[in-house]
Amino acid sequence: MIRRVLVANRGEIACRILRACREAGLSSVAIYAQNDRTGMFRELADESVLLEGESITETYLNGTAIIQVAKDTGADAIHPGFGFLSERAEFAQAVIDAGLIWIGPSPQAIEQMGDKMSARQIMKQAGVPVIPGVEIEEEDEERALADIRQAALETGYPLLLKATAGGGGKGMRVVHAQEELESSARSARREAVTAFGDGRVYVEKLLQTSKHVEIQVLADTHGRCIHLGERECSVQRRHQKVFEEAPCASMNPSLREQMGQAAVSAAQAVDYVGAGTVEFLLAEDGSFYFLEMNTRIQVEHPVTEMVTGVDLVREQLRIAAGEPMSVGDLELRGHAIEVRLYAEDPSNNFLPAIGPLAVFRPPTGPGIRLDTGVREGDDVTPHYDPMLAKLIVWAPSRSEALQRMRRALDEFVVLGTTTNIGFLRALCDTKEVISGDTYTTMIDDVFPNGYEFNPTQEHLDIALMTAAVAETTGMHRLTVSSSSSKEGILSPFQTLNRRYP
Amino acid sequence: MHHEFRFNNEVHEVTLERTPKIWTFANHCAHPKEDGRVRIYFEDGTKAWAHVAKVGDMWWVHHSGHIYTLERIEPGASADEQHGGLVAPMPGTVLEVLVSEGEPVEAGQTLMILEAMKMEHRVVASVDGTVTKVSFSAGDRVEQGASLLEVEDHQ
Repeated sequence: MIRRVLVANRGEIACRILRACREAGLSSVAIYAQNDRTGMFRELADESVLLEGESITETYLNGTAIIQVAKDTGADAIHPGFGFLSERAEFAQAVIDAGLIWIGPSPQAIEQMGDKMSARQIMKQAGVPVIPGVEIEEEDEERALADIRQAALETGYPLLLKATAGGGGKGMRVVHAQEELESSARSARREAVTAFGDGRVYVEKLLQTSKHVEIQVLADTHGRCIHLGERECSVQRRHQKVFEEAPCASMNPSLREQMGQAAVSAAQAVDYVGAGTVEFLLAEDGSFYFLEMNTRIQVEHPVTEMVTGVDLVREQLRIAAGEPMSVGDLELRGHAIEVRLYAEDPSNNFLPAIGPLAVFRPPTGPGIRLDTGVREGDDVTPHYDPMLAKLIVWAPSRSEALQRMRRALDEFVVLGTTTNIGFLRALCDTKEVISGDTYTTMIDDVFPNGYEFNPTQEHLDIALMTAAVAETTGMHRLTVSSSSSKEGILSPFQTLNRRYP
Repeated sequence: MHHEFRFNNEVHEVTLERTPKIWTFANHCAHPKEDGRVRIYFEDGTKAWAHVAKVGDMWWVHHSGHIYTLERIEPGASADEQHGGLVAPMPGTVLEVLVSEGEPVEAGQTLMILEAMKMEHRVVASVDGTVTKVSFSAGDRVEQGASLLEVEDHQ
């Protein structure tokens, strides 16, 4: 039985979970850092509690303080969302030890899947195929580098260096040639230490033109463990997904069943409970390899919700309360696409942007869902992930879903902060996306220099006329003077590059 | 009315003509509305909407699915060219400084590594030259707009 849920997260996913709590008739508690005091998620909770401190270690990563807030506010369960503490086994254990309900899988399952090496071992034993690669156990920098060089001889180039404890593209490097190996390995390890406190990496063969296909699973405490079909998330920049869809365009029912069964085996191998995702690489020949299991709700979960009709967050709440999941026979219906709107500059290596959301007018109409944690008037700050919103469309077929996405992106007006909307719109017109032949390195191949909008003279004239009329007639009502936007837009900074492929 | 705007590093001049209720430019017409939108009438008789907002000196315009950022140049202001220094585009922490003052560098050479928004970024020389100033060392916090290094062009 759950009555009151503390949501240990912020922004968009906190809003998603707090709304699910409201719908389920549960009361809710939000936590927030000082720099989030005007955040929309606070308003969706019945109560919100400030966590003092400047850094995320003192706030959203402060497990001890969060558990204390749960006790003080009478919460009986904690939902971690994604990121932050969601995949920290020791936090899950501390929640349970405090007599609270952890909305997620057991700490043992998180630990087994969180360490990529042990996950690979468990998958091999469960008969799930894994990518050929070498695990570097060595923690000492110089000896680890020697081992990495040795491993690279076995896998060949191009290869992928991945943080053992990693995720979200952090601590990950593509290495094309031997000359790049040492500097890439050093920086991958450094980034892994910063992000995860664990510098171990592993080396694997880079499978080119493969697809990223993941299977959503759901398991309850009554012995039921099912899969809810796949999501394809091949379109990534810097190993972060930007365009996700369900179903996968090249999927067929028998392959879905094979991959689904592999995912269910993976979940059962760690006695999984709750919502989880098993990620695979799908090669051109139809063979697939286990990548990792995410032991939490995922950013792109809405596309599965749209095609299955299952409310995954609501099921998480149900399962955590000890009830059986309410999912009946599944039938995939239509096609769903999600794009991630980021405050970033596609013309400059997708560098994160900051600024005020002077105008934020999302599209509306049939088949459109917007999951966001911001609204007009908010400031985009450098403190957190620059994702502003997830725009999800549903339509009866893939081509109609793509048409709907184009229309929705054209309607989406965000002024005051640079976003990737124009890039996402251009993505919808690439032949790879139109045909469904998307693959993981596609953005690097199709947009090697990022995306820059070059208007026709007529369109530029319209924009110039609009600005001139607005200046002349003093449309000052919408003028924003924000401390974070002294220069309005971040000046394009040609020489600052991400060191990501 | 005459205005100048900078778009994609180029200066564009706009001279608006005014009839009693409507503004015209390049054979198109515009009618501002109360809600931050502008009604556009094209030369060929078709119509559209544009959204507009000003942030600092920058006018942000959304029209036909695209966003334009047009920096207004104040009349009489001298064209403020970007200075030669390398400026932090966002707040962050300096992880490593790879060069020192007086050191010759080549275009493309990494000068400094920054950590911002939980990612590593490298600051790269855009020209062959000599490092004339290094303003920060490893571990320093930098604010947005801070001048990180200066490189004097060899030419």
